[in-house]
Amino acid sequence: MQPTRILQALRYRRLRLTTKDVNKGFYKGTRTGSMGRHTKHGGYIIDWKKVRTYVCPSLDGFKLTPFVTRNMQRTFGQYETKLGPKDPALYISRWKAENGLD
Amino acid sequence: MGALGRISAAYTTSCSSASASVSSLPTTAPVLRPLTHTASLSTSAALLKRHKYPGARDNKDHSKHRGESAIRRTGTRWRLSMSDEPLPRPVPRDRLPAVETDPDHGLWDFFADRATVAATPEQDAQHGRSWSVEELRHKSWDDLHRLWWVCAKERNRIATSNWERNKSKLGFGEAEALGRDREVRATMRAIKHTLTERLYTWEDAVKLAENDPEVDLTGQGPAFVPRDYLEEGETAAAEGEQQVAEAAETAQNTQAAPAASLDPVTIPSPKSQAEAPRL
Repeated sequence: MQPTRILQALRYRRLRLTTKDVNKGFYKGTRTGSMGRHTKHGGYIIDWKKVRTYVCPSLDGFKLTPFVTRNMQRTFGQYETKLGPKDPALYISRWKAENGLD
Repeated sequence: MGALGRISAAYTTSCSSASASVSSLPTTAPVLRPLTHTASLSTSAALLKRHKYPGARDNKDHSKHRGESAIRRTGTRWRLSMSDEPLPRPVPRDRLPAVETDPDHGLWDFFADRATVAATPEQDAQHGRSWSVEELRHKSWDDLHRLWWVCAKERNRIATSNWERNKSKLGFGEAEALGRDREVRATMRAIKHTLTERLYTWEDAVKLAENDPEVDLTGQGPAFVPRDYLEEGETAAAEGEQQVAEAAETAQNTQAAPAASLDPVTIPSPKSQAEAPRL
């Protein structure tokens, strides 16, 4: 959903889009998805298949921390191609060298 | 005689009857209640009801305090909520049983340690820099997944400290917590950067592999069949050369990674495996 072209060029462009700027039926949301469905009586039924569940993996023996020591300089990659780390040929060659199975 | 005398009399009789037999407890339970309700002073009130027609005034005694006298110590006419039972005494805190908590509960991860609720600003300020994207490119999916959760738990701890500092008015420390949180968020952003980049590169690599004669994407046979490979003796020689090259590179990189005394797991490999020569 976006304003019309004439409005995009004006100061209107700097304002955030709200539900009052568009026609009926526009649901702005919070980009989070629904957890159930509305009933015709105005209620809401939680669908537990849609409720998000986050499972933390086992952290036993995991020694990485969110921080790196400041004694070590921040490293930057050196890549030969212009694409750099996004080079698919590099990806394939690494896959062949490391795994090559799946 | 006031209500107090009736209460004590009823209590003693009910106690004796209750101790006599347990089975008769339901029947004696009403007796436990003190018998303080009294009839109206005049027993001829019902006889004085003269008017029977609908809408006639009722015959109740509307004076609730009729017959009460402080001088004569008559007590109240309604039932009082009191009894002769001894009041319970509060137990001192040191004699209370200890509250049992689960030492392995997941909520303990919200605190830096078991004894304190918030980290001091000095503790918060002791942190390194965030991970760079290049350092994370050499980590596996599992490592990045777990590192994400380590970051999430660290942010939970910081949030708990902030909340406790505000609630208990502990004082300074917000700037240190913000700085620490900023580094953790930078690490999390780098993780997302790495994984997104890896996904897009994979999509491009799949397209590229369709034209690669060594790669079989049908899923029928082995996915990768190398065309030209070295024999065993040549492989050993090539590995020896590679080890020599790696040793030379690590010697160059010792300046970049002086933390050799640290756990090698925590240090990203200085040499990109992608740059390694194909066998």
